[in-house]
Amino acid sequence: MKSQQPFTSAKSYVPPHSPFDPCPPIGRKYYSTPPNLYLGFQPSDLPQFSPADALRKGTLWKVFYDYYDNPYRKGAGKSRD
Amino acid sequence: MTKPLPKEYYKQLEEIQTADFVVMELMLYLDTHPTDQQAIGQYNQFSQYSKQLKRAFESQFGPLQQGSLNPSQTDWAWSESPWPWQV
Repeated sequence: MKSQQPFTSAKSYVPPHSPFDPCPPIGRKYYSTPPNLYLGFQPSDLPQFSPADALRKGTLWKVFYDYYDNPYRKGAGKSRD
Repeated sequence: MTKPLPKEYYKQLEEIQTADFVVMELMLYLDTHPTDQQAIGQYNQFSQYSKQLKRAFESQFGPLQQGSLNPSQTDWAWSESPWPWQV
């Protein structure tokens, strides 16, 4: 079974590469799974950011904040708050 | 290049952006949660706050939108640059 990594919103997989495929293998591909996927109908009275923070973070409710770092860029592993 | 704008212009504009962002978020939320009183209260509070900010901004720096009040009776302020999205 794959090792149990910590939960992250950036997921990845390696597409299978056939020996008959003329193109070079793509390697690892990344996709994002933002928090709203895991939260069905939004409950009321969720904790909120302050308005100024909300403008910077792009969402009013803390639970939906999803920092995105381009995984394809070198050294993009570190997640910033 | 037009004369540089005062810092106050940017500060108030950002304050308006913040208030409008909260209003927008709550509007989308209330579309799916029409009976959430707390959110409606917050929405009204921020919507009123945003109108207040815009009134103060426009009296000081000119119209924000095409439909805004023209500050002077003699010349048409809207065609003067810069427009709010150009700053």
